[in-house]
Amino acid sequence: MDLEALNAISLQLRRDVVEMVYRTKDGHPGPSFSVADIITALYFEVMNIDSSNPDMIDRDRFVLSKGHSCPVLYAALARRGYFPVEDLYTLRYLHSKLQGHPYAPKTKGLDATTGSLGNGVSIGLGMALAARIQKQANLVYVVTGDGELGEGMIWEAAMAASHQKAANLTVFIDNNNYQSGGTVSEISGPYPIEDKWKAFGWHTQSIDGHDISQILHAVEKAKEERERPSAIICKTVKGNGVSFMVGENSWHKRVYTDEEYRIAMKELGGVV
Amino acid sequence: MSSVDSTRIGFRDALLHLAKEREDIVFVSTDSLKVVKGEPFLEVFPDRVIELGISEQNGVGVASGLASSGLLPYICTYAGFLTMRACEQMRTFVSYPNLKVRFVGANGGLHGGNREGVSHQFIEDVGILRTMPNFTILCPADGNQVYQAMLASVDIEGPVYIRIGSGREEKVFPDGTPFPLGKIRTLIDEGSDVALFCHGFITNRVIEAAKQLKEEGVGVKVVEVATIKPLDQAGIATILEKTGCAVTIEDHTIINGLGSAIAEVIAEGNPAYLVRLGLQDVYGESGFPDELLDAYGMSVQDIVEGAKRAIKHTKV
Repeated sequence: MDLEALNAISLQLRRDVVEMVYRTKDGHPGPSFSVADIITALYFEVMNIDSSNPDMIDRDRFVLSKGHSCPVLYAALARRGYFPVEDLYTLRYLHSKLQGHPYAPKTKGLDATTGSLGNGVSIGLGMALAARIQKQANLVYVVTGDGELGEGMIWEAAMAASHQKAANLTVFIDNNNYQSGGTVSEISGPYPIEDKWKAFGWHTQSIDGHDISQILHAVEKAKEERERPSAIICKTVKGNGVSFMVGENSWHKRVYTDEEYRIAMKELGGVV
Repeated sequence: MSSVDSTRIGFRDALLHLAKEREDIVFVSTDSLKVVKGEPFLEVFPDRVIELGISEQNGVGVASGLASSGLLPYICTYAGFLTMRACEQMRTFVSYPNLKVRFVGANGGLHGGNREGVSHQFIEDVGILRTMPNFTILCPADGNQVYQAMLASVDIEGPVYIRIGSGREEKVFPDGTPFPLGKIRTLIDEGSDVALFCHGFITNRVIEAAKQLKEEGVGVKVVEVATIKPLDQAGIATILEKTGCAVTIEDHTIINGLGSAIAEVIAEGNPAYLVRLGLQDVYGESGFPDELLDAYGMSVQDIVEGAKRAIKHTKV
């Protein structure tokens, strides 16, 4: 798929998120937008997956460690054909297949149950080691937040993955510099992020997480690694794509008014 | 059929046996291979041992990833480092998605932790896991029963927890005795004055107490409840109906373990007088295994007296 088409999809996924949050009156739009381009690249270009065969043993795997960004992941799964787009508008409703945080048994196409922060790298490492044991060539991708790096278990997994030479594991760090309570600089101080992963023995790259060509290039570089797992630190913007959401951390979890909905959809190239 | 005198060896030997038959079994070690003398497993299956170092939360997360990819991971380390340190990982990433991960918790009870002291004596593991849906919880009585429990539980859908000890358990069952998965087992049936419900490495004491009670003319039943979850409620209710009173004996806090489980059956339509023996909402301390059980209310004499107390209340 060419870049223009991928960029169009990433706008579509953001519009889907706006529509979901607006209609169901719940969800995390800001954190969805900062990973929208990473998820677009993975689900529409990078990953070897097949929505008509969702349990394919050698499919690539994806773990959304920052599970609260799931609206955009749900949108990607729907647009990739795992379930009808209409289902998106049941987000967080009783008996919906779309739980507030990802729950794999209920949602076709989801590889991992997540939501509680800090766990996804370990789960991804388990999948990567399983592929090695099963002699499968599939790759495993994980997205963590930057605030999430405060969870100690991330670093347990980072040390173990490097020791295990899990070169089939790639972790994207969504470095939007915000967490629930403010900026990560103020609250948890994870910087310098790249040096930390490097010190843990990972192959590291720092890129613009909203430039899909950079994302694709970084993935290719990661694939060339034979010994080390890869960390791709993605500079991102929480709320990217909608002007009034950028720099306004209340959009971590907030519902659009009618007016905000119209503006957001318009800015994202939609027809209201 | 192996003859094993220790719960740790029982686990190790069963895992070796199962792994020879099935390619999906892997051992997840958090620097815990040595705990179960797992070197022979490593020699035979070097590619099926995943050594993660001392990181139990990570270990359970990795096990979740392995299981979701179709492997059958066994993660074995000290019971509390699993059920307390990695409690949330066991809940949210294994129990909730109902993944087939096998947890083997060592140092169960005061007997299991013995001289290590409280940080390594795990008296809460069963209680914690009882609150998690989907879990099967097994508390075998000795090494051979651990071996048999491993064989019996290998195909269970969803997570399984098997409690093991320090390796100093007394042999209770003859080699080859099957593990009664999901069912209670009456070990002694000498009348219906009182039922002694028990599990784990204290079963030998309960049998000893029952012999004394019998000599004193008490009609006693010894009932092993080695599957704590799912609980054989119907089997327990049938016993309670006959005896009208019971004693529970567990090397675990009496809160939310076997005593609580039996109390729930009693409260829900099977009235009986109950005496609960076990840790009375206190921690233990360092000591030799048998010495500890004696000091913390789980001596043979405590069991005999508990039975008499239960009978006395019932007759009044």
